Amino acid sequence: MDVIDQLNAVKTGKLSRRAFQKSLLGFGIGMMTTPFVASRAAAQSGQGTLFTWGGYDVPEFHTNYEAANGALPNFAVFGGAEDALTRMRSGFIVDVAHPCHTDMVRWSQTGLFQPIDTTRLSNWGDVMPELVALEGNQAEDGRPWMVPFDWGGTSVTYRTDLVEIEGEESWDILWDERYAGRIGMLASGGDAWWCAAIKAGVPFDQIASEMAFEKTSAALRQQRPLVRVYTDDTTTLGQALSSGEMVAAMTWNSTAVELQYEGIPVRFAQPKEGALTWVCGLMIHTEAPNLDRAYEIIDSMLSVEAGEYMIGAYGYGHSNAKSFEGFTDEELQALGLSANPRDILDAGHFSIPQEQEWESRMNETYELIKAGF
Amino acid sequence: MVSVPDARSFGRGKLAAWFQRSEAARGYALMSPALIVLLIGIAVPLIILIAMSLWTRDGFGFDMTPTIANYQRAATEPIFGTLLTRSFMISGLATFITVLLCYPMAYYVAFHVHRNKMLWIVLMTLPFWTSYLLRVFAWRVILGYEGVINSAFLSAGWIEAPLEFLLYSQTAVVITLAHAWAAFAILPLYVSLEKIDKSLLEAATDLGDGPFTRFMRITLPLSMPGVIAASFLIFIPTTGDYITPALLGGPDGVMIGNLIQLQFGPVNNWPMGAALSIVLMAWIAALALVFLFITRKAKDHLA
Repeated sequence: MDVIDQLNAVKTGKLSRRAFQKSLLGFGIGMMTTPFVASRAAAQSGQGTLFTWGGYDVPEFHTNYEAANGALPNFAVFGGAEDALTRMRSGFIVDVAHPCHTDMVRWSQTGLFQPIDTTRLSNWGDVMPELVALEGNQAEDGRPWMVPFDWGGTSVTYRTDLVEIEGEESWDILWDERYAGRIGMLASGGDAWWCAAIKAGVPFDQIASEMAFEKTSAALRQQRPLVRVYTDDTTTLGQALSSGEMVAAMTWNSTAVELQYEGIPVRFAQPKEGALTWVCGLMIHTEAPNLDRAYEIIDSMLSVEAGEYMIGAYGYGHSNAKSFEGFTDEELQALGLSANPRDILDAGHFSIPQEQEWESRMNETYELIKAGF
Repeated sequence: MVSVPDARSFGRGKLAAWFQRSEAARGYALMSPALIVLLIGIAVPLIILIAMSLWTRDGFGFDMTPTIANYQRAATEPIFGTLLTRSFMISGLATFITVLLCYPMAYYVAFHVHRNKMLWIVLMTLPFWTSYLLRVFAWRVILGYEGVINSAFLSAGWIEAPLEFLLYSQTAVVITLAHAWAAFAILPLYVSLEKIDKSLLEAATDLGDGPFTRFMRITLPLSMPGVIAASFLIFIPTTGDYITPALLGGPDGVMIGNLIQLQFGPVNNWPMGAALSIVLMAWIAALALVFLFITRKAKDHLA
């Protein structure tokens, strides 16, 4: 039956129940089968799968890959690294995953990842060696577990017109009672716990001690009544900051850079206690179904094109030294970056990989605190 | 020529005869597709869940020695009880509001619409053809700080600053649940109202009942099956709802479903998550039984 006929039948009130149910059936079958058709098409194309943080699933990071394969990689997105690991441990197989250095040691211990053959990466020669030589990144034969990709800081993004700063910028903004109900926090313990430890004055090499645990959780508990929302969704935090719903939030570099482009008066604070600094990278799954594509994804993300986009649009550092050549020192400084990553990473507190037991306990405690206990 | 039936066809004939005679066997055969799905889809996962709830987390793996430690934690640590109570409060309130709002709609279609009833029902359920997630996001837009309600009130001059309690609160969760599950209330309510014999209403009017008494004595009791069905259909799934509190609840709107998700996600304690799921299931079953018992008592009382 023609669609127009049916619409006319509805208009004149003559649509029989049978005809109606027939079209409903057709509609239902159509709805049910659409995803199958789509997923079969995706499977046939044989693209590699990248399991990454929200925000990295944009074409600009994968221009070389797209040029070579005619399509983007498949994306799967996570909000927190611990969440991602649990999903892969329960059988989710990807080609490339995107953890941070703090997670890398625990991730490689699961046996879910294979060392990376750097000879297959054309951009490897330009990767900054200090980002590769991280603690625990040596697999056998000098191969790394993780190819560094991005690095940056976690700090406070605040509205310069709504927050009053006395003296130096500090983590105290997020603990300021005057802004109760207008503060945003990252939901993943991988950032929030370490930042709270900085605020509580815990040295990172003692973070596993009982005393550090108590001090850090006390700081987070004290902050809980002031927090409007805990989320890992940077869009939510960005929108809330731009509308004034929040005046300050714990974020990564990108939120501040994006808001500044929109002309919102925000600053990415450089707290006097030091920011949290991190390096994230790419790891290949042991059972990667498209190993060649996996290397192509990594190589494309290490390219200068991807790097320039990341520095300019997101304000994160890139691991390819050549990516910085297109930027002047002033531009980099305005973004809170430097062509020498050590300048930035050593100026802040660089998180240290911990045992799985600590990680689980930390996450559990942070979840309790978020729920109000 | 004497033919001796060979043993095989004899056996088959016997089986067919038994199958013909036994009503139970035929019944089970008819049900077998559904039974297999039930077995694989519900019974097996449930057994896995129960088994897992008796284990203990051990780094990346499980210690499989049976223990009831997880249940002891669920009973003693305050967070579990609080979140469970909160979930029941929120979803109970959402259920009550949904049924209350949907009853007049179903009533109108059942009693006052005479042509194209089907079309009316379809139109009422039209918003529910979009995905659940989209509806939840739509409520974020409506309730948000710069959302529809706040900007309307601000431009009308009714409020000075945006109302902050609209989003990231238990109110937001209740409002969203009440809307998102409305279709599940309208349909059973409509069916039970539609079935009511109109001559009973006329009889009540003839015997001197006003519209209100007539509603209380005839329409409401006769539509009770629909009300009960609607309440169950909404209360049971919303108690464990995960996405609505995650997106709209804020720190104080967290429900038990979120806690269970966390156990399987970042907290990485699957046995505890399994135990919490079982506890939730048991509580819902118990509450449903109590609810059924009360309505049955009330019915006996009325009759």
